[in-house]
Amino acid sequence: MNNSNGAGPVPVFEVCGVTYRYRDVTALDHLDLTVNAGRRAVLLGANGSGKSTLLRILNGLAFADEGTVRFCGKLLTEDAFENDGFGMEFRRRVGLVFQNPDVQLFSPTVFDEVAFGPLQLRLRVDEVRRRVSETLEMMEITHLKDRSPHHLSMGEKKRVALASVLVLDPEILLLDEPTSALDPKSASRMIDFLVRARGGAKTIVTTTHDLDIVEDVADDCFVFHEGRIVAEGPPAQILGDTALLKSTGLLHSHLHVHKSGEVHAHSHLHRHEH
Amino acid sequence: MHIPDGYLSPATCAALYGGAAPFWYAALRKSRKLLFTRMVPMISVFAAFSFVIMMFNIPIPGGTTAHAVGVGIASIVLGPWASILALSTALFIQAFFFGDGGVTTLGANCFNMAIVGSLVAWLVYRAVAGRSAITSSRRVVAASLAGYLAINGAALCAAIELGLQPHFFKNASGAPLYAPYPLSIAVPAIMIGHLTFVGLAELVITGGVVSYLQRANPALLRFTAPGVPMPQSKAQPAAMESAWRAARPLWTAVGLLLVLAPLGLLAAGKAWGEWSARDFQDPAARQQIARASGNVAPPAAVPTGLARLSSIWTAPFPDYSPPFVHAPAFGYILSAMFGIGVIILVAVAAGWLAARARPAPRTSARTEET
Amino acid sequence: MPRDTRKGGRGFLERTTAGFVDAMEHAFYAEQPARADGLLQHMDARVKLVGILALIVSAAAAQRLSVIAALFVVTVALAALSRVPFSLLLKRVWIAVLLFTGVIAFPAPFVTPGEVVFQLPGFGWKVTAQGLVSAGYLVLRVETAATLCVLLVLTTPWNHVLKALRVLRVPAVLVTVLGMTYRYLFLLLQNAHDMFESRRSRMVGELNGRERRKLAAASAGVLLSKTFDLSSDVYLAMQSRGYRGEVPLLDDFRARSLDWAMLAGFAAVSVAALWWGR
Repeated sequence: MNNSNGAGPVPVFEVCGVTYRYRDVTALDHLDLTVNAGRRAVLLGANGSGKSTLLRILNGLAFADEGTVRFCGKLLTEDAFENDGFGMEFRRRVGLVFQNPDVQLFSPTVFDEVAFGPLQLRLRVDEVRRRVSETLEMMEITHLKDRSPHHLSMGEKKRVALASVLVLDPEILLLDEPTSALDPKSASRMIDFLVRARGGAKTIVTTTHDLDIVEDVADDCFVFHEGRIVAEGPPAQILGDTALLKSTGLLHSHLHVHKSGEVHAHSHLHRHEH
Repeated sequence: MHIPDGYLSPATCAALYGGAAPFWYAALRKSRKLLFTRMVPMISVFAAFSFVIMMFNIPIPGGTTAHAVGVGIASIVLGPWASILALSTALFIQAFFFGDGGVTTLGANCFNMAIVGSLVAWLVYRAVAGRSAITSSRRVVAASLAGYLAINGAALCAAIELGLQPHFFKNASGAPLYAPYPLSIAVPAIMIGHLTFVGLAELVITGGVVSYLQRANPALLRFTAPGVPMPQSKAQPAAMESAWRAARPLWTAVGLLLVLAPLGLLAAGKAWGEWSARDFQDPAARQQIARASGNVAPPAAVPTGLARLSSIWTAPFPDYSPPFVHAPAFGYILSAMFGIGVIILVAVAAGWLAARARPAPRTSARTEET
Repeated sequence: MPRDTRKGGRGFLERTTAGFVDAMEHAFYAEQPARADGLLQHMDARVKLVGILALIVSAAAAQRLSVIAALFVVTVALAALSRVPFSLLLKRVWIAVLLFTGVIAFPAPFVTPGEVVFQLPGFGWKVTAQGLVSAGYLVLRVETAATLCVLLVLTTPWNHVLKALRVLRVPAVLVTVLGMTYRYLFLLLQNAHDMFESRRSRMVGELNGRERRKLAAASAGVLLSKTFDLSSDVYLAMQSRGYRGEVPLLDDFRARSLDWAMLAGFAAVSVAALWWGR
């Protein structure tokens, strides 16, 4: 992996030979992956290729059947999370935005939702209010603050879900399909927010099967297929490899999403949002 | 069966809140112990599920539909304690938000449906299913019975609570202050609807869901079948045989109950038959009374059991006073029987739980995490 | 309620779907007047909750019809001051209650023993004074309590009702559970609704009884599986944001002088009702 930091790459996540089985399916199959600090990595793969599972493992929500996962050099195991100090620290530094915002929006109102994380981390009440207001402002959802999540549109839900994680100002952001189920306009708006939210030198891991957004959200690209990483490299290189994308179902899945019936592989590669 | 405000006296309401409180407390403690931090989302989402299930129109044999409560499913999938919490939560939201069932009577409704319902369902299911394999058809039978008996237990409690009102709460001139119908009317009127329609709906949905889960998602049935392996293969006949034998006394008891319950009502037919014949003569009134009895409209035709009974009656329509003379006794005996039954059930449940300090359900965590 | 579905095998699907839509509509209506400008809308949710519960209990405890009727008048006045449209109350409460409880109370005058007031010609059915009074008690009480309960919901955002429960010493964990149940209720309702709708559109020909029962059970089973997955995912999402079993809540209630005055008012009415209604 090429990294131009003077001090050399600092790994945030080191995944080593991880295997994870879900019921009878092997979701991850002896997978290796390193994500370095300050980099934006994208995990490209068709639906069901194990990307979401990997994000959950990186977030300490699921644990590998075989292999090891290190976070800043520390092994992520169930025992590690038994230690409240580590758990709190980890939750503060690493945020995961789920693919389905409905599972992430469980509070009665948008304000309560965004306040959930800070309250869990035992911030002072006035600090919680301040942060929530700022985050709502930043995500342009202040007008929604008293609404119930079930009255929101998909785009609004996704923004609230992102806000509920950004409010903790995590150093490492894990995004599971941030633009799935969004219409193109909402999707590009989402990308704007993501680009803006990056702010400081954040590490971001995004999963997607949407080739359109890759160049906007990634420095490093990993291609997933059947629980393994089959290719990695800079976005331009990966997106140029039509044979690879076809063999991993990415071009197909892309067309499937848009149902336009036309093949736009090249135009996607050169699309720019702003 | 959702009793609205105004049907029960404040004293009855307070007593039933008091009766429900220790169960709620125990349920909260047990659920925390069994589910750990998982409890909050688990109870919440299942409460929402119970709410939705209560809105299902269940087709029952005979071409009609009825609403079920879903207490059987909740108890079988979650175990009785979490089921008590989930159903109570659903009932709370129905009462406060949707105006279905009262606020003062919430304790009563929770006691009947959430507590008595869950405990009866779970005990019957455990007793009848024994240690049979997760996918054995015996579990479908057990679930059906559990649903049927649970809903009827709950209905009987509601009937007794309503029926006791005019015996105890009258104004100076003797006019009943709350639900006006005595046990002799309330119990049969409610139980007819539940022994037939609502009971069948609950039977169909509980048995049907368990049968569906056996094929589609047997892991969900594991929680209330501890120690039973998850057999994709056939269960060993020998083990099945011994399990069957071990559960035989319980089977017999359940069978006896099943036989005796309708017999008891038939025997009591004389007492309340007079009322029925009188009011069932007018189709409108009949409909109304049976509705009063628990949110359930009676069938389009006179229930066959009643029709048969009415042919036995000799005295057509006597004066209004006599029917109540023997009737309360019947009601009291029934309520006493039921009270004893509940106490026994609770004792058995407590003993079972004490004997079996179950390990935390870590085992299931794996399969749930995609 | 049992109804005949022999004509169309999909009757139960249709009725269930209609029920789902009705519940969602109810929630929609409930959220409209909560934003309107009126007396109850201005009150602190805790005061409102305690006050309205006190009135409901008084209505349940009063032993004089006149006192219950007076409480009903107070309730209607509260509704008027809170600009809750009477048409809404009429449709969703008053008529609904009459249809249900009125019908239940209907036979009471005939079967309650007591002084005979008159006899229905032809049938020889006797109507007793006690029976009439008893039916009056039931209907008035239920109307009053149901109206009060609906007023609370119509004038208070649901999440405020929930947080206000904290003053009744309901544990924070249960308040959280209630909030989450309400939230996921709509997700599951929508889910079930879509499932039934798609079932209905794909269904050709008639189903026999057995098939219909199987379909109902399978629908419930599918929903149950979804419920389970949902609860697991929600749990992970909570964990991901630092949840370890405790749920601190933000309370943003401020009781002002109006609230104290109203609390005193509720207390006075309740005490009076309990005193006169003995």
